Amino acid sequence: MSELQRFQDAFVAALAQRSVAPIAGWLPEGEDQPAGLAVYRNTIAKGCVDALAANFPTVASLVGDDWFRAAAALFAVEHPPAGAALLAYGEAFADWLARFPPADDLPYLPAMARLDRMWTTALFAPEADALDAEAFALPSDALAAARPRLHPSLAFAWFDSGLPGLWLAARQPDPGEMTLHEDPQGVLIVRPEDTVHSRLLDAAGFAFLAAARDGASLGEAIAAAAQADPAADLATLFAALIADGVFVGLDLGDPA
Amino acid sequence: MPPTAGLGLKSQHYAEALAAEDEGLWFEVHPENYMAAGGPRLRWLEAIRAKHPLSLHGVGLSLAADADPDPTHLQALKALADRFEPFVVSEHLAWSAWRGVHQPDLLPFPRTQAALDRIAANIGRTQDVLGRTILVENPSLYLPLTGHAFDEIDFLAELVRRTGCGLLVDVNNVFVSASNLGYVAEAYLDALPAEAIGEIHLAGHGADEGGSILLIDTHGAPVAEAVWTLYRRLIDRVGPCPTLIERDDDIPAFDVLMAERDRAHGMLTGTGACACPQPLTAEPADV
Repeated sequence: MSELQRFQDAFVAALAQRSVAPIAGWLPEGEDQPAGLAVYRNTIAKGCVDALAANFPTVASLVGDDWFRAAAALFAVEHPPAGAALLAYGEAFADWLARFPPADDLPYLPAMARLDRMWTTALFAPEADALDAEAFALPSDALAAARPRLHPSLAFAWFDSGLPGLWLAARQPDPGEMTLHEDPQGVLIVRPEDTVHSRLLDAAGFAFLAAARDGASLGEAIAAAAQADPAADLATLFAALIADGVFVGLDLGDPA
Repeated sequence: MPPTAGLGLKSQHYAEALAAEDEGLWFEVHPENYMAAGGPRLRWLEAIRAKHPLSLHGVGLSLAADADPDPTHLQALKALADRFEPFVVSEHLAWSAWRGVHQPDLLPFPRTQAALDRIAANIGRTQDVLGRTILVENPSLYLPLTGHAFDEIDFLAELVRRTGCGLLVDVNNVFVSASNLGYVAEAYLDALPAEAIGEIHLAGHGADEGGSILLIDTHGAPVAEAVWTLYRRLIDRVGPCPTLIERDDDIPAFDVLMAERDRAHGMLTGTGACACPQPLTAEPADV
């Protein structure tokens, strides 16, 4: 190992241990308490915490700055960034919150982190032009057989309780009193142009998208939606998804 | 007009940056903030770049680590440089990534011959991949490390000589490091090889909230008068050079930053539109 490598290992250890002992060989004699090590330590912590605050704004707004920054600092020690692009930092944060004892009485919090993560991932997803309604003006047989291609930014999920509703409410400017409803619900997040769009998704909508993601045709996806909720208004469901900008292409397959 | 004085581009100022018409204005970003597959900030950057020169100022390449630059990071940097055609690309004389962990800071190292060899190789590799030279920025220092075989000026000059890279002189870092480590900022600036300087940074600093006498390179305050004075001294000797007002924390309104920018622009162009005690010697006017 080179001396520079040894120095780097020692410096990382010094930061972790909050002690200059590992780098004593590279400091003047008697330099026991240099303030400089704390400067680096604080800058690193701030960089990580600021990035997490930017990437998990709903979590931060629900628990307040002080609690959030303290938790984020602890997370950063256990899960430091793996890369320099901090816009991607925090992959493990939702799962970590689920195991973080001070969050035990905030059982909704990990889901809020998961949704924030989905939102940020959508924000930075690749670009693609969404299809408008005209693209679907096909004979009904062709339309039913067409396999939709979904926007690269699309994310959707199903939750056992009203966590998506809580998340959407918490993101309003003046949320006020918020309630976590009991009934399961889904969420859709997509960024067809410059803005991330998120809304609730019902069982039929979720089933449609899950089928489409699995390679189903439009006909098959609609059937899955109808099976999930026989009372669903399928035409409205489909029109809403087109308006959301979730479709970027239709594979019409081989002519019969 | 070539780039004179510029600003670090912040997302809250995208619209104003796009609308600005000032001559010589340019913008700088950290490429790491744009290493995404898509999204609105990339579109903003494209629009702003169509109108103003752009500089990419990397913080994560970790040139001073005893390891090759991360190939994925280097490719992402190349992709941004190819797409946005910046007039300058820069990085730091520091390390941040080590053994798979990225520390969001710029960390120090003993300036040994081996470190020189490693950093020269890393700069060479970077320049080869990018297909262009880069500038290397002098660091702000907080620890009186021993084991240096070179002073910082000689170390930087050797890197310039061996790799053909240039220098980004952060005058605030010179001020902060000199204060923290007990050397004379003026002497440091006077010794920099003028022909290698491709960009200058000006930024604010602050006291150590931990209570020590250290100054911290916070980028969270206006540029101090003492730093403006050092800047004047530098450009009087080396001539005009693209200069950035660097503000990363406690971001004020766009026009507040532009006022600092305008002061630097005035000093660079000799238009004297500032309260400088000694106006830059302008070209003799035709009489």
